[in-house]
Amino acid sequence: MSRLNRRHFISGSATALGSLTFGAPAVLGQGKAKVVVVGGGAGGATAAKYIAKDSAGAIEVTLVEPAKQFITCFHSNLVLGGYKPMEAITHSYDKLASAHGIKLNHQAASAIDRDKKQIKLADGSTLDYDRLVLSPGIDLKYDSVPGWGEAHEEAMPHAWKAGKQTQLLKARLDAVPDGGVIVMIAPPNPYRCPPGPYERVSMMAHVLKAAGKTKCKIIVLDPKDTFSKQGLFQEGWEKHYPGMVEWINAKIYDGIKSVDPKTNTVVTGFETYKDAALVNVIPAQMAGRIARDAGLANESGYCPIDPASMKSAKDANIYIVGDACIPGDMPKSAFSANSQAKVAAMMVRGELAKAQTFPARYANTCWSLIQTNDTVKVGGRYEPKDGKIFAVETFVSKTGETAELRKQTQDENVGWYAGITADMFS
Amino acid sequence: MGLGAHIGMWDVALVALNCLTRPTAFAVFTILALGSSAHAADPAFGQYLAGECVTCHRADGENKGIPAIVGWPEDQFVAVMKSYKDKDRPNDVMQNIAGKLNSDEMAALAAYYGSLKAKK
Repeated sequence: MSRLNRRHFISGSATALGSLTFGAPAVLGQGKAKVVVVGGGAGGATAAKYIAKDSAGAIEVTLVEPAKQFITCFHSNLVLGGYKPMEAITHSYDKLASAHGIKLNHQAASAIDRDKKQIKLADGSTLDYDRLVLSPGIDLKYDSVPGWGEAHEEAMPHAWKAGKQTQLLKARLDAVPDGGVIVMIAPPNPYRCPPGPYERVSMMAHVLKAAGKTKCKIIVLDPKDTFSKQGLFQEGWEKHYPGMVEWINAKIYDGIKSVDPKTNTVVTGFETYKDAALVNVIPAQMAGRIARDAGLANESGYCPIDPASMKSAKDANIYIVGDACIPGDMPKSAFSANSQAKVAAMMVRGELAKAQTFPARYANTCWSLIQTNDTVKVGGRYEPKDGKIFAVETFVSKTGETAELRKQTQDENVGWYAGITADMFS
Repeated sequence: MGLGAHIGMWDVALVALNCLTRPTAFAVFTILALGSSAHAADPAFGQYLAGECVTCHRADGENKGIPAIVGWPEDQFVAVMKSYKDKDRPNDVMQNIAGKLNSDEMAALAAYYGSLKAKK
C-alpha cells in the first residue's frame, strides 16, 4: 500500500462523528500549528480563509501572494467585452486578513524545501510550515507556439493571466479596424478555463459588432477536435455574429508552423494569415513553477493529488488545489479551485486541529456569456472514485433555450461572481 | 446531538495511521466514522454541506443575482430542495446539487441556514 493510501483511506458507511483524532501533533509543544498557503487566487484565498475561520485561532495561517490586489481571471472576458470595468474584477486582501486573522506576506514564494518543511521567499527569508497548501495556478508554456515567446506577449497578447494583459488585449481589440482579421491560437488540453477561449471569441465579436465592424473576421485555430459547450457557442455565433467567426481544428489547418510577432503573421500547414489586426496566442499550460520545481508535478506538468483529500500524491505535508493540480473529471476553473480548497481546508484542520472531517465532495459550474443576456452554463458534482475526482452527475445548457432562460442564466453568472468573490475575500 | 446516543450506530470505517514515514510530522490515529442518519438536523454537518452553497449564495444574505437563503424557515428550505431534487423546480445547478442530498442532509442544511441571520 502506498504512503498515501495507508494514511488516508476512507471507506464504508459510518455515522455520527466524522473523525476522532487521538494523539496530538508533535508540533503542538512548539506552539501553534503553522499553515502556509502559497497563491491568493480562488484556491489559495479560499483555503486560507476556511483554515483560519474554522480553526478559530488554533492554526496560524500565512498567505503568500505577491500581488497586493488580486485581479480575477474569471470574468476578465467580461472586461474585454465591455460589460465590466477592471475595478470590478480587482479585489483587496485586507478584509480577508483582518476578518480571520490571516497573516499576509506579499512576496513571491521562490522555493519549497520539503525536507525542512520550509518555504523560501523572494527576499531570501523563510517560512516554516506544518502543512503547506499550494495554489500557484498555471504557468504558460512559452515554447509551445513556434516563433512566439515571453518576449512577444505584448505584440501577441495571451491575456490568460488577468491584469495588464487583459487591458492590452482590450485596447488592441478596440483598435481593430472594420474588415480586420483576428487570429486566436487556442490552447491544447488541459488548460485553465475550458470554455474561456470561446467565451472570449464571443466577447470579441460582440465588441466588433457593437462598433459596427461586422466585416471583421475572427479565425480560431484550435489544436483540439472539439471544445467545451461547442454546440452552444457555435449556435450563438451563427445567431449573433453571422459570418464573423471561423473555427478551424488542427486536422484542417495542419498545425501552427510559425508565427511572426513583427508582422502579425500566422503560418499554418494550410494557410498563411498576414498582417492580422490582432493575434491572440493562448499557449499550452502547466502547473506553476514552484510546484514543478519541488518535484510535485508528474510528466503532464501538473500535480497528482489524492482525490479524497486534495493532498499531494508525492508529499504528505502538502495539499495542492486549483489549476495546478490534476483534478480528474473537474475542469480547471475558479469554482473548482474554491470547491477543492474547502476540502483541503477541512482535511488540514482535521490533521492539525482535530477537527471533524467528512467525505470529500466537489462541485463546479462554468457560465459563459455569448452575447448580452445570452449565457450558457456547464457543471457537475464530483466525488473521489477509482483514484480520481469522478463526475457523478453533470449538466449543460441546451441549444434553442428561450431568451428568458438565457437571461436568468446570466443573472446567475453575475450572482455567482458576487458570491465566490465574497467567499474568497471576506 | 450527543455523542453517546449514537455509539451503537457507529460503523467504524477505518483506523488510519497518519504520517508514518515522516518522523517530524505528527503521528495520529484517526477513526473515521462517516455517514448519514445521525447527522439529521445537525447544524455542524449543515455548515460543512453549506460550503457548496456559499460559492453562489452569499453567506451575508445579500442577493446580487442569486437568491439569499439565509434565515429561511427549515420546512420551507427542505420543501424547496426536495422539489429541485424531484426536478419539479427548474434550474440545472440546483437540480444537480439537490440531487445529491438525502433527506437528512437537507434537514442539516435547513437547520444550519435556519440558524443564520442576514447581516443588515
